[in-house]
Amino acid sequence: MGWQGTSAAGTERGERCRARGCCGSGPGDGGVRLWPDPRRSELGPERRGSAGLPCSPGSATARTLRRVPGSDPPRRGRHGRQGERSAAALHHGSCSSARRDSRSRRAPRRGGACAAARGARGPGMWLLRLRAVLRGPGGLRGPGIPWRIFRSYSSASTKEKANRNGPCERTELLEVLKARAKQLQGSNVPEVTVSKVELGALDNDKYQEAVVPGPKEKQPIPRARGDGLSQSSTWAKKLQKEMYSQHLKMKQELGSAASQLALEGQGKVQSTPKAKTMKIPKTKAATAWNQSSGSAHNKPRVVEGKEAAELKRPQRMPKDRTNQQALQQTIQCNLECFLFLQHAEEAERYLLLCHSSPVKRKVMDVGAFNVVMRIWARKGSLSRLDRLFSILEAAGLQPNLDSYAVALQCMGRNQSPPKAILRYLQKLNSSGFHVDELFQKCLFEEDEKEMVLWAIRTVQPNYQLPPPPIPKICKSSLLQDFYSRETMGSYPKVDFSEKELQERFQQQLEMELNNTVTIESVEAAKPLTPQAIKARELLGTLRSQWHDAILQALQNSKRSMVRPKRLSKYSILYPYLCLLPDEEYVDIMLQILNDLSPQGESLAVLARELGTKVYDRYIIQRKLRSGQLKKVQKIYENYIQLLAKGSQPKHYLPREYWEKLVAEAGFGPSLNLTTCSWPCVLLMRLGMHMLELLVKAVKVPRNILNRRLESKPIPVLYHVYSFYSNWQVGLIRPHPIFSQLVSNAAETTLTFNSSAMPMLCPPVPWTSPSFGAFVLNDTKLMRFMDETTYHQLLLEQCPLVNLHPVLDALNQLGNCAWKINQPVLDIIISIFNDKGDEKLDIPPPLSEAPKPPTPPGNSSTWSKTFKHEVFLCKKKAAEMHSLRMDALYKLSIANYVRDKVFWFPHNMDFRGRTYPCPPYFNHLGNDVTRAILLFAEGRPLGPKGLDWLKIHLINLTGLKKKNALQERLEYANEIMEDILDSADRPLTGRKWWMDTDEPWQALACCMEIAKASRSPDPAAYISHFPVHQDGSCNGLQHYAALGRDLSGAASVNLVPCGLPQDVYSAVAQQVEEFRKKDAERGLKIAQVLEGFISRKVVKQTVMTVVYGVTRYGGRLQIEKRLKEIDEFPEEYLWEASHYLVKQVFNSIKEMFSATRDIQNWLTESAKLIAQSGRTVEWVTPLGLPIIQPYYRSRSTVLNCGMQRLSVKTSNSTQKPDTVKQKNAFPPNFIHSLDSTHMMLTALHCLRKGLTFVSVHDCYWTHALTVDVMNQVCRQQFVALHSEKILQDLSEFMLEKYCSSSSSSTEPIAHWQKRLMEQLSNVPKTGEFNLKQVMDSTYFFS
Amino acid sequence: MLARRAPLGAAGCGRLLAAGLRPLLCALSPCWVTAGRQYPSLRVAEPAKEKRLVRKEQRSSLVVRRFIACPQLARTVRRCLQGGADPGPQPVLLEFAPGPGILTRSLLDAGFRVVALESNSDFFTDLQSLEDSLDGQLKVIHGDFFRMDPLAKGALKPPAVSSDKLFETLGVAAVPWRADVPLKIFGIVPQQLERNRLWRLLFAMYECSSIYRYGRVELNLFISEKEYMVLTAKPGKSKIYQALTVLAQLGYEIELLHKEPWSSFATTLKNGGLAIPKAGRLPNDHFCLVRLTPQQNLFTGGLKPSNASTFIFMVKQSFAKPKSKLMDRLNSWSLDNSDRLLKALEIPKNAVMCNLYPEDYKRLFEALQNSDLFAESFFHDEVLASTRTMNL
Repeated sequence: MGWQGTSAAGTERGERCRARGCCGSGPGDGGVRLWPDPRRSELGPERRGSAGLPCSPGSATARTLRRVPGSDPPRRGRHGRQGERSAAALHHGSCSSARRDSRSRRAPRRGGACAAARGARGPGMWLLRLRAVLRGPGGLRGPGIPWRIFRSYSSASTKEKANRNGPCERTELLEVLKARAKQLQGSNVPEVTVSKVELGALDNDKYQEAVVPGPKEKQPIPRARGDGLSQSSTWAKKLQKEMYSQHLKMKQELGSAASQLALEGQGKVQSTPKAKTMKIPKTKAATAWNQSSGSAHNKPRVVEGKEAAELKRPQRMPKDRTNQQALQQTIQCNLECFLFLQHAEEAERYLLLCHSSPVKRKVMDVGAFNVVMRIWARKGSLSRLDRLFSILEAAGLQPNLDSYAVALQCMGRNQSPPKAILRYLQKLNSSGFHVDELFQKCLFEEDEKEMVLWAIRTVQPNYQLPPPPIPKICKSSLLQDFYSRETMGSYPKVDFSEKELQERFQQQLEMELNNTVTIESVEAAKPLTPQAIKARELLGTLRSQWHDAILQALQNSKRSMVRPKRLSKYSILYPYLCLLPDEEYVDIMLQILNDLSPQGESLAVLARELGTKVYDRYIIQRKLRSGQLKKVQKIYENYIQLLAKGSQPKHYLPREYWEKLVAEAGFGPSLNLTTCSWPCVLLMRLGMHMLELLVKAVKVPRNILNRRLESKPIPVLYHVYSFYSNWQVGLIRPHPIFSQLVSNAAETTLTFNSSAMPMLCPPVPWTSPSFGAFVLNDTKLMRFMDETTYHQLLLEQCPLVNLHPVLDALNQLGNCAWKINQPVLDIIISIFNDKGDEKLDIPPPLSEAPKPPTPPGNSSTWSKTFKHEVFLCKKKAAEMHSLRMDALYKLSIANYVRDKVFWFPHNMDFRGRTYPCPPYFNHLGNDVTRAILLFAEGRPLGPKGLDWLKIHLINLTGLKKKNALQERLEYANEIMEDILDSADRPLTGRKWWMDTDEPWQALACCMEIAKASRSPDPAAYISHFPVHQDGSCNGLQHYAALGRDLSGAASVNLVPCGLPQDVYSAVAQQVEEFRKKDAERGLKIAQVLEGFISRKVVKQTVMTVVYGVTRYGGRLQIEKRLKEIDEFPEEYLWEASHYLVKQVFNSIKEMFSATRDIQNWLTESAKLIAQSGRTVEWVTPLGLPIIQPYYRSRSTVLNCGMQRLSVKTSNSTQKPDTVKQKNAFPPNFIHSLDSTHMMLTALHCLRKGLTFVSVHDCYWTHALTVDVMNQVCRQQFVALHSEKILQDLSEFMLEKYCSSSSSSTEPIAHWQKRLMEQLSNVPKTGEFNLKQVMDSTYFFS
Repeated sequence: MLARRAPLGAAGCGRLLAAGLRPLLCALSPCWVTAGRQYPSLRVAEPAKEKRLVRKEQRSSLVVRRFIACPQLARTVRRCLQGGADPGPQPVLLEFAPGPGILTRSLLDAGFRVVALESNSDFFTDLQSLEDSLDGQLKVIHGDFFRMDPLAKGALKPPAVSSDKLFETLGVAAVPWRADVPLKIFGIVPQQLERNRLWRLLFAMYECSSIYRYGRVELNLFISEKEYMVLTAKPGKSKIYQALTVLAQLGYEIELLHKEPWSSFATTLKNGGLAIPKAGRLPNDHFCLVRLTPQQNLFTGGLKPSNASTFIFMVKQSFAKPKSKLMDRLNSWSLDNSDRLLKALEIPKNAVMCNLYPEDYKRLFEALQNSDLFAESFFHDEVLASTRTMNL
């Protein structure tokens, strides 16, 4: 969609990518154009990838998910209106030009998109962005994974199981009761209740004493336990006392009394009955516990306790789970926030507060305790930690490895006596852990690892760290050669010495430490007007005033929060406003103000953006604080030896080498950060708070532009609403005075997030799903739109060795160094700074926008048509503005790095398609951006290189598509004069290059050919120019290969043939045949269409059909094409496009019979799976696990001072969206195959020493190596499809969805039977001999 | 103009029954008369099901339609429509979506000249045969009242209709706004998107477009009780006093003619369910026959059809946060002299949006119109952008 910034008259390539981007969204609506927008494209790649569908953790992996509970009780309240409105709004939607098509109602999202397409930039764009935002945090970061999940303790579980026998369970239960009692006391229950509960507790104590000595356990264990218990009770008493005295103190403070009372009330009312109910189902609970420990023994330990808890509770509250999960995340985040701030007391108070709330208590897990214990450990306060330990155990939670690591760390830090250490070590052993595991599985920050080791060595002076694990090697049959040590050569070097790379790393690091980069825009070259100078001065003074005002407002608000009104919804934000220095918050807010477009922006988008910015900076701070950065720095220093020229050849892949260095480094912090990502609700709340400050604080004198008015400060930002049917959307708009001022100043600096810039040094290699790419900026391996932690979870669970091929492929793509094609860039900038050129895809400046007609008098007297005209003008201007800004960003970044060598770190979407991380300027961009990129590495052209350049040029022109390569080459030689003329006088000559499909790349290619052919020996000419090889309708190629479909294979060039086959023409022919028949039968529309059916009309639809374009989208595409034909009668547009899309679909069915079968099989399977309530999952032949993130969304309403916001929440318990799961499966599956093919090609090209990058199914390399790449590409295609892909898929799914082990006793349900039949019934394949691909010239060409 | 005829006598009625009604009624069991749940005569609608399924291509879901099914109710409605007028010759009445035509027949019996607008082709055919059996007293047109004058350009495709054509057929000429009611319309508002349809009518009235180009057309509509509650809500009731309320009360004289339980109506649902729309907290036990007569004095003062969309936008904007203070809202529209404005209007400073009377909004708007600041404020841009999208 719009992210590449192709203009309205986008090139075919641009459109194609756009359409593909859409199709990720399953029912792709390829026809709806979105225009790029600076801010949106920050989310850009995101949209490209998963194309904005709600994602959420699916069900299958749910067992490893933390299951958690409660949350702030769902804020329902008075949101009726908003909810109702948004629902209604979804119904509304007709497309700008299209007749009101009631169909759009069926597809609410699409309806929205249409509305957006109709609106001006203001409405349209922010609506889109709003939608994007409501779906969850996008951007380069995604929420991380709770750190508990990094580890699985399966090895420990058998021993552990032995520990948990009946009596033990009962004691645990008693412990729970006891803890409950303690909490009641702890949370200051009025005296009467205390005594009552105390009685209960005493009773329990007695009972427990009777029970504990009774059961005969294995010898050492009960003792350890007994120790723990006695300890715990004394500690608990102490705690109780302390809390009580604290309470007394607090009572004296008048201010706190009220809120405390509120707290007490809550605690009392809700917990008393709880204690009772706990008693009654005692036996029941105990048995449940037994069962769970019996059955759950092969699950990760962390989950076990929770699972048991789940069993205890009746399963009647599935609705709560959403909130529970969110609540757990919130609690974890809050605690981590305290951890970062080192606020131990607050953290503990918060923990106990949560612990005493019945709802929150349910969701608390050992992780929460670990965080607080960690704070105490940092402070070396063993006594507090001990106490928490006992509360933890008393609450029935099992301390995990991290708990012990924290305890040991604390004891190491305060140099505890061996006795205490021994006690914990014994406990650790008795819980079934081994000391070595501490170092293998726990993640450490700062000097924690050393402290733990110190503690252990106090007891066992000879203890040695466990040896690092032996690196595993991927065993995929497709990559046997690749990973075999024998064939492994040294890794390709870059043209820099170690020292140079080191310097570049420092630059990159500095940039990331600054968070943002401010660069001169390419417009800076223009001369300044006196008016601009004046406006800039004015803006400068205003900004410094605003800065002070915001700072003051922030500090005031923080001060008011500190006051102990503990239960207010704001107070929970307080720690989040302390994470960064105040100045940084002010910076962030000012930046938002600067970037605000004159049309305004939706509140939700702004809030999300503000929240995310704070989060990103916080993460960087954490990395600094934990010492991770220092370690990365050290390792990177050594790592570049692998890449630097002149260094020793190393037989390692980047990932392997990095892992080796990490293992050798031994001590220090872990590189994976254990951060819980902030839930969307939190980001929004924080953002809204900041936004409110901003709106209130920033003022401008009203008379600043017009001195005649009285001077009165008025707000710069206004909160208004916009209406879409019954949907209202809150907007923040800048006052026109402000917009005027900004436009007068014509400032020429741009500020970007450092992650929006290409990297200045080779990216950090991906070594795990959460580590790689940028040095500091948080990047996820898999990008996702939503709050979905699900992909990431799936990746975490997947054995790392299975991900090696994918990680290596991404590293390979990211390690390609680039530079700027300066002559082309200069020409582009000159046009850009002149008047732009729509034909050449250089967006003109706003000064070229159509002027609205002069208004006749007062606006209230305008006629309707006149208003509409004005509206259209504004809309056009808004569109132009956003296109212009997009181009400005791209060109400015390119200009900024014009003398540098740079890198694009890569990540991928959920289907494995790879994307460069920097969103604006990258090689996936439009013709303009691609034309200014060159490989930094140069290679001689070799004997055939020049020919390849010429063929590439002809390919770029779009001419001679149906001719053989030789003919294209001959044609190039024929028009050599034109080519040289274009190269020499691009703007003054014959301008041959301008009339091509991809003019700018063609121009760049002309220049390269000119230079090469004029060099004394073209074969020795060093070329940096990338030559592309493009799959011809790659989706259909994969389908044809999957189905071994003879006729299909022939039409998409899998079969060697003298001339390239053109599937689009073939489809057009077929459609024409259908039309003729219909016309003969007297169908009016078929007769009207005579002579209008061409390749061009059907091309886009054919291209996107494999990627799941629907009839709706297809119709829009065709309508667009027909509109471009001037002679076509307008009144038939709808009918004709409707008819044509039907015929295109029919033709494809006719021509690709196997494709249809496979597509149907995939669709039907997905439908049945989704209907059974599960999410469609599969694994690519390279071992990448994939899950379709389409769920029925649910939204919660946030009541934030200024406005209520509706936030879509995602979670593992939502039902899958059947329609999307079904419609999107075939295209997603094909995408996962094409990405696999690309990765295989990338890896094998690496082994052959090639430079390789890809734009999905378009592969780039040097002219010298095109032949080698072509060969590898074909080999890998054959190898990939020689795997039994569909059979493997069928088996995988049968295993996953139909294995009846879970419910062996129940009879197989009907649906299950149907699903089984469906899945086993793999479509039959045809006669096509796959090996033929090897000799097919036009397979990729 | 339809030819004037003397009202049909009892004999005429009998003839009518024989000619028109009998074929339709022959399949009826007695129960439908008592407004039972099962309404076999609606089986005429059944064959349409396939067509509806075909139309599913265009329509998102099956539209639930409601019909007057029992003669008793038909008589009541007829009486309401006669409005105590002499039982003499009646003016033209446009009935939309008559369905099986039970009321139509009752009206014809009472001497009304009826023009029926029906979109379902099966009902349409039936009504046509009824039309043929009469002497010009009934005229049947294929079309959907709520798809009148669609916004999209291009050729009109039935059931979309244009008001020009319709009024030409009706033989009703445009009259000035202050003149008498030129035409009465009766119909049942489909519950799907009921609110939106009311909004659309309001827009049309304020802009004097579509049917209101011909003057103050009187609407007699069956709407759900909850919408009636909203239309007639009093200021201060923050939940039900809405933008729609303000605009409706300002624009229409709202008269409740009759309340009838939901069960008296037949629906197109296969299972005979009543499909009562959910109402939340509002009472919603009835279908209400409401007469909406445009106010004669609507376009006095500063409000004109040309600036009405701005007024509507202002009211909607005001009700985006109904409990906020008027002052704050005015400030947020970048009007910095709101103090003076309020003083001039004698509205207290701390007034809350949802406590203002509809007339206050009008006065406020007029005052704003007169202040030059209004045009200057960017509020105005928003109207431009939103008008089209607001106007369903």
